[in-house]
Amino acid sequence: MNLTVGALRERLARGEPTFLLDVRASKEFATWKVEGPRPIDTMNVPYTRILAEADEDNIAAAAAAYLGKNYAEKIPRDPLVVAVCAHGGTSAYVAEGLRTLGYDAVNLEGGMVAWGNYYEALTVADEPVLAIVQVARPSRGCLSWIAVSDGEAVVIDPLRHVDRYLELLEAREARAVAVIDTHAHADHISGGRALANKTGAPYYLHPYDAIHPMDMLPAPFDFEFLHERRHLSFGSSALDVLHVPGHTLGAVALLLDERFLFAGDTLFVDAVARPDLGGRAEAWTPLHHASLRRLLGLGDEVLLCPGHFSAASEADVRGVYATRVGLLPARNEGARHALGDAASFAAYIMASLPDFPPQYVDIKRVNTGLIEVAENRACELELGKNVCALAASHPGP
Amino acid sequence: MADVKEDKVVDASGLSCPMPVVKAAKEMRGLAPGQILKIVATDHGSLADIPAWAEDTGNELLHTQTDGGQYVFLVRKGTS
Repeated sequence: MNLTVGALRERLARGEPTFLLDVRASKEFATWKVEGPRPIDTMNVPYTRILAEADEDNIAAAAAAYLGKNYAEKIPRDPLVVAVCAHGGTSAYVAEGLRTLGYDAVNLEGGMVAWGNYYEALTVADEPVLAIVQVARPSRGCLSWIAVSDGEAVVIDPLRHVDRYLELLEAREARAVAVIDTHAHADHISGGRALANKTGAPYYLHPYDAIHPMDMLPAPFDFEFLHERRHLSFGSSALDVLHVPGHTLGAVALLLDERFLFAGDTLFVDAVARPDLGGRAEAWTPLHHASLRRLLGLGDEVLLCPGHFSAASEADVRGVYATRVGLLPARNEGARHALGDAASFAAYIMASLPDFPPQYVDIKRVNTGLIEVAENRACELELGKNVCALAASHPGP
Repeated sequence: MADVKEDKVVDASGLSCPMPVVKAAKEMRGLAPGQILKIVATDHGSLADIPAWAEDTGNELLHTQTDGGQYVFLVRKGTS
């Protein structure tokens, strides 16, 4: 009686009544949880309590006894109850116990690991020549993009589970001709080099971002230089490279056929990026200000395709985290401040900086090739939502 | 922690979640307050779950040691 993450997301998108019973330790639950397009009714009861009286051979029965005694009134009878734990092992016993109590209960297959590694692909534009696909990793708020023109593809900011991109390219019968990181990511491990190796396409990065900003050590790998005014043709389309320092010193944005703006971590739908992850907020904030003004001036009809989202509410009805540049001043507080003068923008930035996640230093070491990590450590480094954006002043779901 | 001597050992090596916690909880029921249980596990999740279990159940986590892929915990039984 398992439910996959994909099937759960589809249920939630259809608005079917669903109740999540998360049995992880409270601290882990506080760090991150399964999210849907709308807020989900979720309760945390640590399994260390549920199974405190269990023996190895009666785990489901012990779960039923504990939950029946203590939570009969709190776990609703009508919705589908989905039990969630770290890997989907313990929650399977909990779901089984709930079924013996008469609940319609299932186990989330693979647990939070499966949720963390879950990707969703959505076609944003599907034209005779050009197609744009958004590849999102909802658990982390990460976005990546595939643009296909006449069978040739560029992949922008691919995340580390690169097989997803290989599948999507194959489904479109597209050949990757460029794999691009808009900047050296600090919040997640890039799939850029791995995907470039697997497809044979060159890996592109701005040279400033091939240097770790704190260690000041250069990347020990080959890459193609991205720089201002570089023009990359693929199929019948072309990308213009704009150097937009601020979030990182080597950040670039890519303007596709003057219509689609892959802005990486500079400008998001409802926020602007933070300029402090390189440890030089005061020096980089004026650069960030100028870069944002440049992007906001590219044309109202240009579609902003960013590198992150913070809340599901940033998506349109299809689930696409993109918006017209002309709509940004009305909905994005950071964009409004960017249109103001440098001093007030700096004051806004300094007042809005979230905490600096310490693991971001190591993640950037991985992305600049200075260290390598095993899967366990990669999962740990990537735990939870990204915090690349400034804190939004409106409440998210 | 060389001076702390356990009264009982639970070896949950090779077992995945929830077994390390279930076995530890079971052995703990047989101990008297103040006695010490040593838990050995290889499941990475134990690193978060054993301390959470100890805190939840009023027992005291005295020591955690990570040695390669092995995790060793010393937990003193609480008085409650």
